[in-house]
Amino acid sequence: MSRDYWRSLAQIEDRPEFRAALEREFLQEGPSELPEGITRREMITLLGASLSLAGLAGCRRPVEEIVPYVTAPEQLVPGIPRQYATTMPFRRSAYGVIVESHEGRPTKVEGNPSHPSTLGASSTLVQASVLNLYDPDRSKSVTQQRAQKSWNDFVTAWGQLSQAHAADGGAGLAVLSESFSSPTLARLASGLRARYPKLQWATYDAVSDEGRLGGLRQATGRDLDLMLRFDRAAVILTLDADPLLTDPEMIRHARGFAEGRRAGASGGAMNRLYAVEAVYSLTGTMADHRLRLESRQIAPFLGALAARLGVPDAAGLGGAAVAGVDPRWIDALAKDLLANRGKGLIVAGERQPAAVHAAVCALNTFLGNTGTTVTYYETGDAALPSMSSLASLVSAMTSGTVQTLVVLGGNPVFDAPADLDFASAMAKVPHTIALGHTVDETSFRAEWHIPRAHYLESWGDARGVGGPVSVVQPLILPLFGGRTPVEVLGLMVGDKDRPGYDIVRETWNTILGESEFDTKWNRVLHDGLLAGSELPEVVPDLAAQPLAELARLIGGSSSGLEIVFVASPSLHDGRFANDGWLQELPDPLTKLTWDNPALVSPTTAEMSGLAGGDMVRLEYAGRSLELPVWVVPGMADGVVALTLGYGRQRAGRIGNGVGFDTFTVRASRAPGFDSGVSLTRLGSTYPLSATQDHGSMEGRPLVRESTLTELRSELTAPAEAAEGAEGGGGIPGPLGVYPEETPHFSLFKEQTYTQGHQWGMTIDLNTCIGCNACMTACQSENNIPVVGKDQVSRGREMHWIRLDRYFSGDPSGSPEVVFQPVPCMHCEDAPCEQVCPVAATVHDAEGLNVMVYNRCIGTRYCSNNCPYKVRRFNFFNYTNDTPDILKLAMNPDVTVRARGVMEKCTYCTQRINRVKIDAKLAGREVRDGDVKTACQQACPASAIEFGDIRNESSRVAKAKADPRNYALLDDLNTKPRTTYLAKVRNPNPDLEAAGEARPVA
Amino acid sequence: MAQIFPPSWNKLPVVAALAGILGLPLAVGGVWYFFSPWYTDVGYAPVQPVPYSHKLHVGELGLDCRYCHASVETSAVANVPPTRTCLNCHQTVMRDSAALAPIRESAQSGRPMRWIRVHNLPEYAYFHHSAHVTAGIGCVTCHGRIDEMDTVTQTAPLSMSWCLDCHRNPAPNRRPVSEVTNMKWTPPRDLQALSAQLARERAVNPPMDCSGCHR
Repeated sequence: MSRDYWRSLAQIEDRPEFRAALEREFLQEGPSELPEGITRREMITLLGASLSLAGLAGCRRPVEEIVPYVTAPEQLVPGIPRQYATTMPFRRSAYGVIVESHEGRPTKVEGNPSHPSTLGASSTLVQASVLNLYDPDRSKSVTQQRAQKSWNDFVTAWGQLSQAHAADGGAGLAVLSESFSSPTLARLASGLRARYPKLQWATYDAVSDEGRLGGLRQATGRDLDLMLRFDRAAVILTLDADPLLTDPEMIRHARGFAEGRRAGASGGAMNRLYAVEAVYSLTGTMADHRLRLESRQIAPFLGALAARLGVPDAAGLGGAAVAGVDPRWIDALAKDLLANRGKGLIVAGERQPAAVHAAVCALNTFLGNTGTTVTYYETGDAALPSMSSLASLVSAMTSGTVQTLVVLGGNPVFDAPADLDFASAMAKVPHTIALGHTVDETSFRAEWHIPRAHYLESWGDARGVGGPVSVVQPLILPLFGGRTPVEVLGLMVGDKDRPGYDIVRETWNTILGESEFDTKWNRVLHDGLLAGSELPEVVPDLAAQPLAELARLIGGSSSGLEIVFVASPSLHDGRFANDGWLQELPDPLTKLTWDNPALVSPTTAEMSGLAGGDMVRLEYAGRSLELPVWVVPGMADGVVALTLGYGRQRAGRIGNGVGFDTFTVRASRAPGFDSGVSLTRLGSTYPLSATQDHGSMEGRPLVRESTLTELRSELTAPAEAAEGAEGGGGIPGPLGVYPEETPHFSLFKEQTYTQGHQWGMTIDLNTCIGCNACMTACQSENNIPVVGKDQVSRGREMHWIRLDRYFSGDPSGSPEVVFQPVPCMHCEDAPCEQVCPVAATVHDAEGLNVMVYNRCIGTRYCSNNCPYKVRRFNFFNYTNDTPDILKLAMNPDVTVRARGVMEKCTYCTQRINRVKIDAKLAGREVRDGDVKTACQQACPASAIEFGDIRNESSRVAKAKADPRNYALLDDLNTKPRTTYLAKVRNPNPDLEAAGEARPVA
Repeated sequence: MAQIFPPSWNKLPVVAALAGILGLPLAVGGVWYFFSPWYTDVGYAPVQPVPYSHKLHVGELGLDCRYCHASVETSAVANVPPTRTCLNCHQTVMRDSAALAPIRESAQSGRPMRWIRVHNLPEYAYFHHSAHVTAGIGCVTCHGRIDEMDTVTQTAPLSMSWCLDCHRNPAPNRRPVSEVTNMKWTPPRDLQALSAQLARERAVNPPMDCSGCHR
């Protein structure tokens, strides 16, 4: 099967800017080409400046100091990093993590293998959280009316406030928190309610799963939450959902999903994923069948599916057809789900209303999936998000009944729905207290601001999805004297300033029991969670008519352009806006950095006369917003998607004014999606920095994919398959890295690598979900600088591993997507090495293509000659003006590169060396699995294998023996050590002929 | 109109010629020497905040290196001791010495001592003490006769070529691991027999690739 792959609409239309990008080494003029129009005089000035700077470089090395401890901390050996288990709470999920600490400063976060929500892997947000700890813009003191105060001043002030409120039972007191799932916070919250019976408590999440909770309440009458078991699912249907990226449990989901894909590629059964969605999500890119449908059409689609499945009370759901959807599609889907009873899984997205979630719960139960692929449990120790609680709080604030408002984290002034106008309501409250990492939009307007401690500085606890409870333990004292929500609530409950440690231990006294408390407590701290603390599974009884609400929903009609709000995969709801790593991380699908334009499909753009980068005025529900548009293939037609979290005004030096604040048009009645939006072209354009065409390897298709059927037939008849490979697509049969007789003739003296370790890597395109976790992990491990939007637009981003995203198929339909992570290939015959005039890039005996920074003189010949375009050049001294505090986040085992130096993936040579030395000290050999590269360790899908390819029993050697194994640009005879395993799709045979089910409007 | 150039300028051509003749070899020679591994920091002996004498403590009192440099066998860094280690003895011995005032100061205030690094490798070179010590490379090999130094002085060039000389042929510098901290150890007469024995006990394979030390 031969396909055409393309990376952008510019490529498919062969626009001149794409041709120019291909032909140029770096996208814009700069050091690689002489700028046009430079005068002779300017040239001489530049030459003179270079000469005088060169003279300065010869100075003697500065005197360096050694500053030892006064009293050495117990167990700490300088030079040996220590690891501690802790927990990163995120919404109502908890990520069990293991944090590496160098002489007391946390530098790297990894997943905790024994925690069910991380399973040893991590996500971009987990990886980037360490940079937030060292954010130079974190607030450094308690303030009152923006004047510097101390925590003790606040304790005194609170004493007076609490007396006033205690008099009337807390009638004038209100607390606004983010949702949480934590035994200590829940205990303190109920203590606070007991103390102030008339207290008003609101819980608000800007990106919220309220719809799902409400749906489960509708369907079962109880406060339940669910856990998805992708590893047990054979047929998965996602409805406007993105469980593989923006869902807080994405790590667990990705691992389970990848297991199902991997099993299929190695001869077992492969799961099949159907996605029905408005916005092209990462889950959609992994789908075997994808249907573009507006978010508002999901309810009718579900009704039709229910009717087709034969759910008893599906009558009155509008029949078994949906306008514009090929009935064969629903037929095939229903047949597949029915054939896999107990092994199917239907997932609805967070932005869908409660009625859809209730119906999904009913359908999962009807199909026998409850208890196998989806399990339910009681939401214990939790504050559940509720838009109505925020709305009633705001009306109480506006009417003046609230005397004191405590904002316990969160940033409602920025992210509350625009129609509530939280800022004005807040101005009417006499006393406002806001806890925040920075003096953010809310803290700026509050009477009191209290700096919030980062989770790596906090004592606390959290319950993960499914119930496992773990302790948040600090690795470092608060850098800026921050306080935790536990400490603030503790003060409010007892009017006593108590350390968080005492409060958390008090909670755990009841969890663990008094006897041998310290032993058990230390065990929990060491392990990172309390073993066996999962909540019991609940098999709920369904309400009499769980589909009733869905019928009502289908009854309502709406038309016109639809507006859809999407959580940012990087900034989430804006809380990570001041994190440079996340801002510069290309969006998995659009490949945009530093921005959030409105996303539309090619057809929608054409109908509105828009092109990518055009500024538009978006009008919706009486509010308007001016922002650029970006054309994304595969979006549902008639949908405008707005990404949340950008456009912060008080995030800090990184996040201020980046992107557009889409919360300004969000309404409380429709936080997910709504109809009735209009776009007006303004006539101006806006520069956007997308990396989709960067590192384009001459437009050659470099991904290989196949279907399960093709793979099976090929395995039985390999000769035929090899013949089929001549066409360039498909799988070219068994393809080792070192074929016995290499088909290519080499002009160079062949090196042999038959001694010692020979490192190699495989990346499985079949399980890679394109989530970018590897990119952030690499950035954290290897001290990779952030370069900024302007530099990205010049193609100068520094990521050592990039994620190429290829489309194939009709751009105005639902093109399929393949992701391909591309780090340095560590070619055995590396083209870069042949052209370096100073031998700054050479091979070592273990097969690594080594970059020697101190030899590099910056000719960039190597980058020019690299067919994979994986080399990165320091055009500026990007780390030169880094604030001192950010230097604490640096990995001391990796050199910080200076201007004029080339760099690239090293296979984490520092990790290889550490493992080798440790093994030597322990007097043993290096075992398979001892060396994990940062990208491999972070990958939630375990798509990356790394190890010694000479060791035939190593996982990487076995992966390379897979018939799907192929080398990128193999015809160049570079003999790359990094190879790929082809992607395998598992289309439904009933649908293969049908193509995309929905005719293009 | 006054003359622009005074008569003294008549010497200019001679001076210029001399400068050309002398200056060019000087510049070439300067680059030749200063940019080469011969130009090193050997002899660097900065003044420390406390004139700690290794000659007294090691040479005369016989302290083992590892009493202070405790992590040399386990970690990349040998570790300069915390203030407390000094006070282990000096709260009873020489308690009122004026020279030790900074140590007492540090212990009292909790502010660490600030020693000057003598053996200073570039930031891009990653040296691992324990890997060398456990391979039988004696302290004295790189640091010289510390037990005879009142002020620690750099004796080895610590240049890359010097490192590589040993990495290419470590045998002459190896000794039994038990003798690593022994400053006065002399190789036995039959060096070859010792080398063979050490190689049998533990073969070392020092890296000669860039990635061995540069990350």
